[in-house]
Amino acid sequence: MTVRITNIQHFSLDDGPGIRTTVFLKGCNLTCPWCCNPENISFEIENYTHNSQNESFGYDISLKDLEKEILKDEAFYVENNGGVTFSGGEPLLQIRELEPLLKSLKSKNINICFETSLSAPSNLLEIAIQYIDEIFIDMKVLDKKEAKNVLNLDIDLYYENLELINSSNLDKKNITFRIPLNNEYTLKEENIKDILNCIEKYADFNVEIFKTHNLAESKCKSLNQEFTIFSPVDDEALNEVLEKIQELNSNAKIISL
Amino acid sequence: MSFLKKIAKPVYHKAQDNSMGRRSITLAFLLRRLTRRFGSKEKASSYLAKNMHRFYITGSKFNKGTQIKNLFRKVDIHIPKSGFIFFLDEFKHLSEDGHIIDNISIDYSKVLKSSVYEYNELYFHPKAGRGFARDLSSDFIKNQLDALDGIELLIYRIIKKLRNSNHKDRAKFARYFENMIDKPAEHFEEALQRILFYNQLLWQTGHGLNGLGRLDKILEDCYFDDLNSGLITQEDAYDLIKSFLKTLHTYYWYKSAALMGDTGQVIILGGKYDDEYGEYYFYNDLTYMFIRAIKELHLPDPKVLLRVSSETPRDLIELSLETINTGIGSPLFSNDEVVIDKMIEFGYDKEDANNYVVSACWEPSAVGKGFEQNNINFISYLKPLNEFFDNETEQFLENVNSFGELFNSYKYYLKKDADELIAFLDNIEWNNDPLLSLFIDDCNEKNMDISQGGAKYNHYGITTVGLANTVNSLYAIKKLVFEDRKYSLNELNKMRKNNFKKDKYQAILTDLKNVNPRFGMDDEEILDISNEIIQFLEDCFKDYTNKFGGKIKFGLSAPSYISAGAEINASFDGRKAGEPLSTHISLDTNKDFTEVLRFASKLDYGGAKFNGNVVDLMLSPDFIKNHTDKFTDFIYSSIQLGFFQMQMNVVDSKTLIEAKENPEAHPNLIVRVWGFSAYFNDLPEEYQDLLISRALKNEGKIAS
Ligand code: SF4
Repeated sequence: MTVRITNIQHFSLDDGPGIRTTVFLKGCNLTCPWCCNPENISFEIENYTHNSQNESFGYDISLKDLEKEILKDEAFYVENNGGVTFSGGEPLLQIRELEPLLKSLKSKNINICFETSLSAPSNLLEIAIQYIDEIFIDMKVLDKKEAKNVLNLDIDLYYENLELINSSNLDKKNITFRIPLNNEYTLKEENIKDILNCIEKYADFNVEIFKTHNLAESKCKSLNQEFTIFSPVDDEALNEVLEKIQELNSNAKIISL
Repeated sequence: MSFLKKIAKPVYHKAQDNSMGRRSITLAFLLRRLTRRFGSKEKASSYLAKNMHRFYITGSKFNKGTQIKNLFRKVDIHIPKSGFIFFLDEFKHLSEDGHIIDNISIDYSKVLKSSVYEYNELYFHPKAGRGFARDLSSDFIKNQLDALDGIELLIYRIIKKLRNSNHKDRAKFARYFENMIDKPAEHFEEALQRILFYNQLLWQTGHGLNGLGRLDKILEDCYFDDLNSGLITQEDAYDLIKSFLKTLHTYYWYKSAALMGDTGQVIILGGKYDDEYGEYYFYNDLTYMFIRAIKELHLPDPKVLLRVSSETPRDLIELSLETINTGIGSPLFSNDEVVIDKMIEFGYDKEDANNYVVSACWEPSAVGKGFEQNNINFISYLKPLNEFFDNETEQFLENVNSFGELFNSYKYYLKKDADELIAFLDNIEWNNDPLLSLFIDDCNEKNMDISQGGAKYNHYGITTVGLANTVNSLYAIKKLVFEDRKYSLNELNKMRKNNFKKDKYQAILTDLKNVNPRFGMDDEEILDISNEIIQFLEDCFKDYTNKFGGKIKFGLSAPSYISAGAEINASFDGRKAGEPLSTHISLDTNKDFTEVLRFASKLDYGGAKFNGNVVDLMLSPDFIKNHTDKFTDFIYSSIQLGFFQMQMNVVDSKTLIEAKENPEAHPNLIVRVWGFSAYFNDLPEEYQDLLISRALKNEGKIAS
């Protein structure tokens, strides 16, 4: 059994508790315009040239090799619940392939974290939930039409999945909303209202907000894709949103990714 | 580290035959010091010319003890207006015949407990009864007594001068000096002053790279006595420590050896020990205070080494990380979970291993018990590999059929270098040293000068450099020639000999530089090659004992990465001719610190391979600050995993580049070099450039 990934990052300090290994799975069905990992979107392996050398984004790795790679840092996981984080792309989309690995990691007591946009059929999420210790949930554009147009996200599915997580056994303190903020989309007044509503509804989830940045420019170039440059978000706007969120959830914080 | 001195040594040997030669060499070194002091050769020369009347070298026709007495009679005494007394007279020199033993720490705990009187007692005739007659039966004892007389004389000279000075606390300090004659040091401040005085004697008699030992442990009794009896508060103690450190930082220009900052003034803190009840970690208030003080003072020197174990308190690690994060490159972490066992395995008594300190940079040694010259020379792993490819004919290379054959040929060349080094070691003559013999066990018991083998431990330590380049070269050859069969040995060698200059070689150059896995990565093959090489070197030294019965130990951290790289051709790891060799155990292109730590923990430090093995990490500013908790976890996990030693350079390429272009804008920028910290502006250009390129790699701004 193999999964398709773009990268394995050891010593990740920003992807969950403790010291982690982050696995970037390839393939995502959304189209976030600010996506900073455009090489993770397509399900296909993409070739490009860099300094006149042929290189490619993405490769298939056997579960055995992937597990070996994850366990390499086992010694570093013991302090403070370190472990593995599956990110992407959308990791839920390869959950069936991943499941045997998750089972094995679970039996070894490795802390498992997912970073997901929740844009995946609920039955896939259900598989994942059995193994997940920590989860980061993207919250971006929540208006039904906009979500479809901008992100290609089915917002009903999103809410349905959210409910699934909420009613699962997952410890609420291990569930975190991650909200990317930019002037062009997510910071719009209406959207912020929707976001606040959602946060209110799931008030015991953690909240982290951050500015999106123009990191993907060179990657887009390699992929021959257009890249839209976003206007810089000023700190004032960021703090304003934070304050509003904190009225509902006092633990909300700003992070820099 | 003292390799500049090494360059000077051949000259020195020829010149020492006549006293004129000796005089001119001493003058040349003095001029170098003064140039550092005044910042320009012109100013230094004119200062020297004006002060030539102060210049003095002891007469070599007298024995060393008498020379020391004469020296201490002549040195100019300088009393400050307040605070600790510490002065060096750069114009007064002890004549040297042979190499001066340096790079060690004496045991200052003994210095605090003993007085001149008690040292004298050592040399009274046992039969005549204590205090009756001096035993003058051996040259050793005559020397010792003369040296002691010299120390006593200097103490009385200082007391006299102090009394007539305008020093704010002259009466108190005069008493501290009086007590040196016949009492142990009682108070905290007094203890610090006594350490400074004996430290001063070592510098004044030409010893370089003087370590200070385990000061938190050494000072513990005096500190708690004063604290408990209400004589001082914690704040007083902290202020005293700061002024002690500032005093040690004086004469920076005098103390620095090969590079500015290379003073060897290392303070050892913390440490694991065990007894019949279990394992413990030693630390106290002073451990924290010393680290806080170097952080607050923001000085590159003296520097701190923190001995760590799994039991080290978390807030101590956190404080150390915060200190490192200020950029001063200190403390260095030394992992007691590994170091102590390896020392015992090599042959140190358990008690001595538990109480270890390090020589100037990282080389573990027994405090106050060894003559151990821990950085006596170095071996480059890469030089013999290049020599093999420079010397052998095309025909020979054509017939190398397997990687194993190649590896064996390499070993043959490496052994030649090891043998050469051994021959060099056997030819060293050491300068008689009554002063060190006074402090180092077991000279007094054996009635033998340290230079003749009087010490308990007499090992030679060497450093090794370029393991990474060699492993990467060998692995590249293995892959490209013997596995993928992309090139023949001769083809690759032709490109190397051409220094990869031709346009058509650019692709292969990139291939070589990007060979993956590489040294520093947790890969079995890479680890096997690495461990096989160092094991082979150990085997080369196995049967050697020096004339005092000491053995050879070596480590993977060496200061010579720039000089040793400058003199050799391009290599198969894509390093061009003259470029520096890799630094310690590092993997600059990779931010997976866990990777290089895993790698380092799987290197074999057993046998004789423990003479300093430092993982060297480059960090961007604020990385630690933004992740203090997780980084602390990382340190604990790494301790358990079993790294040997670790140091961190917190730098940002932008600042370094700016500082190089415009030094005035960054006068206090400190960086870690070798095993010490230095002002960036004081460094030679090639060191600045290397740090800049390492920082750029670390930030992902340039490829390997
Ligand atoms: S969900 Fe993540 S990977 Fe997918 S497009 Fe959006 S930002 Fe990119």
